Amino acid sequence: MALTLQQVIFLALAVVVIGAALFVVTTRNLFRAALMLVLSFFAVAGFYVLLDAGLFAVAQILIYIGAISILIIFSVMLTRGMQAMIPRNSQAFWSAVVVAIIFAMLLLLLGPLRTTVNVAAWPIIGSIFPNATPRELGAVPWAYAVEPATGLPAVVPETYIATFGFSLVDINQYVLPFLLVALLVDIALSGAVHIARQRRPIEVIQERQDIAAEDAAEAEAIRNAQQPAPVPAPALPEGAVAAATSAANEH
Amino acid sequence: MNPINDLLNIIGGFIAGIINSIFSFSPFLADAITMGLAAIILCTFAALSFMGLTYAERKVVARIQDRVGPNQAGPLGLLQPIADGIKMFTKEDTTPAAADRWVYNLAPLVIAVFALTTYAVLPFAPGVVGTNLNIGVFYVLAIGSGSIVAIIMAGWGSNNKYALLGAFRTVAQLVGYEVPMLLNVLPVVMLAGSMGLIDIIDHQTLANGNAGIPFLLFFPLSAVVFLISGIAETARSPFDLLEAESEIVAGFHVEYSGMKFALFFLGEYVNALAVAFVFSTLFLGGFAGPILPPYIWLLLKAGAVFTIFMWLRGTLPRVRIDQMHNLNWKFFVPLSIVHLILVIILLKVFVTSPAQQAATGGILVDAWVQAAIMFVASALTLIAGLGLAARRARISRLAEEDVLARRRAENMATAGAA
Amino acid sequence: MDLFANALNGIPLWWFLVVSAALFCIGLYGVMARKNAIAMLMGVELMLNAVNINLIAFWRFIAPNSPSGLAFAAFVFVIAAAEAAIGLALIISVYRSNQSIDPEKLDQMKL
Repeated sequence: MALTLQQVIFLALAVVVIGAALFVVTTRNLFRAALMLVLSFFAVAGFYVLLDAGLFAVAQILIYIGAISILIIFSVMLTRGMQAMIPRNSQAFWSAVVVAIIFAMLLLLLGPLRTTVNVAAWPIIGSIFPNATPRELGAVPWAYAVEPATGLPAVVPETYIATFGFSLVDINQYVLPFLLVALLVDIALSGAVHIARQRRPIEVIQERQDIAAEDAAEAEAIRNAQQPAPVPAPALPEGAVAAATSAANEH
Repeated sequence: MNPINDLLNIIGGFIAGIINSIFSFSPFLADAITMGLAAIILCTFAALSFMGLTYAERKVVARIQDRVGPNQAGPLGLLQPIADGIKMFTKEDTTPAAADRWVYNLAPLVIAVFALTTYAVLPFAPGVVGTNLNIGVFYVLAIGSGSIVAIIMAGWGSNNKYALLGAFRTVAQLVGYEVPMLLNVLPVVMLAGSMGLIDIIDHQTLANGNAGIPFLLFFPLSAVVFLISGIAETARSPFDLLEAESEIVAGFHVEYSGMKFALFFLGEYVNALAVAFVFSTLFLGGFAGPILPPYIWLLLKAGAVFTIFMWLRGTLPRVRIDQMHNLNWKFFVPLSIVHLILVIILLKVFVTSPAQQAATGGILVDAWVQAAIMFVASALTLIAGLGLAARRARISRLAEEDVLARRRAENMATAGAA
Repeated sequence: MDLFANALNGIPLWWFLVVSAALFCIGLYGVMARKNAIAMLMGVELMLNAVNINLIAFWRFIAPNSPSGLAFAAFVFVIAAAEAAIGLALIISVYRSNQSIDPEKLDQMKL
């Protein structure tokens, strides 16, 4: 059957993205996984171009490839993931089974297959659910909305970027999520800087001293609470027991 | 309008007609081949300009340094780029033993490809543009950021600790200097009302095609910061700490030789020329000009900007890495943000088109008046920022000198006592 | 340009939905079956990309005149970036104190 150019491009991009994603989740070399992730991001940008959303294709390259991929590669190197070969999880097989089932269900829901499922007519389970109505599976009908003249979906207006931009600042549309997301990014930025800050040695020592002082203060408080009662509770830490017995010996 | 411009259009139409008639059985193939030919012509132009630029750079830097520059290969050394090319081609193409071959070999290719892809949206003349994306500015910046992964690939593929370190530091510099670039492109985009490069040029030209008010006069701060960030983005002098032979042994491309190194070199110069083109389009008015053909104007303006690059290279000493990061995050970014807020407020208050005034209110002024207001605001912000930074630097320098003097006095006292 | 007069010539919606579902499932497998926190994060990024393809495909086919799909997709972009930044900062910080980023070993709330 004759494939149009767009269909060929779509199939090529789909092969690239699925292949790269499979490589990402199955390889044991973390750096190669990161590079294949970059390749899959490129393919997704190609999908956006095919969907007439050029702005998002460029945003994908800028955000995902220009920032997130670099972050991932940096952290791979900082956590010595480059030398180690990561082992496989113990749940690998069963998670593959679960994922395959989920994918089959999604295919049934989204694919071109259209069947009518009548649970009441099934042999054994039908007796459990005798009142089930027949359901139609398959791609939802309104997903095929087309222009009657050309048989293709409606054309994206030229000003789609302006409409999108206005919707983000229009008080009746999406200004609130926009501001919240901006706040989120602000918090993420300061939070990430604070968490990953390289602590100077004096700060590390200070942190450890603080923790030791807290532990000592806790032990002291427990000791003081237990001093009137000569029988120590079995859940006390050892230091408190020794302190309580020594306090009892002193009297 | 211009006879040479019309000649270009005639030749282009002629070639397109030939290809269309040869491939008339399949219009798709005819279109594809025409576009492929245009892409090849663009890449050839970029590569040829790369050759000319290396020669010009060596000559100009040599003159600044009071010497002659290449003058042996051909008359006035004009065949020097060809000699360089032959040298690059015939050098042995080494590969480190334990390097990751795919990653190592792919990195220079990715950098060169990304650098050349930037030329697809640059307008050379009123009708001569690869593709008139209405998000052209955004595209240029995204492509610039996309080439950063290739640097990490180069650093890691060399299987060399110093290459890896150099790659990290280069990436930190490049990613850092993208922020002021993005922030300073925003005032231009807001004033022009579009991200498309041809729309931005249209806003800088008068109705009859002559040059209007270039955006440099509206936003001098944006132009200056964009220019310096552009120099840092392409890792040119004075921001070339990361590929300097005397510092980190050429950084991330230490293990490359021959044609692959030539591709890195090409990527750097092509990137620098792309930054020059984009600066001329955004701030200087692109191909607009009174008498000469449009692309001559664009080449003149880009050449002037590149001359500024070469001038800075020959004159300024290398910037230290902590100085460079301080400059970016502690000076450029806050200054750009303050400038952006100021520009937003002023652009909302002073409008130039009656339709805009009817829609959103504001004070209707002439374009020149608006330009003067924005220039004053922008220049004042720049001077205030520079003054603040100078004052802070002076205070820290005096504190340092104070500490040093005290320590010296102590040493003298103990030496005198002993 | 005649080549791309209609970029969706012959591509029905369900092709995009199937690719997005496959990408989502692969990302899910990556999260569930990996022993390295950064590899799990890569799976999460794949899932977010799948969601974005889904959103923009539905926007293109159902309601290209309305900005809702685009706004939602833009928010997903931003949240993915913020989450990747914080997640990686946490991973680096955990690595500094525990010398390991195996999620199965990180089962205590101690520093």
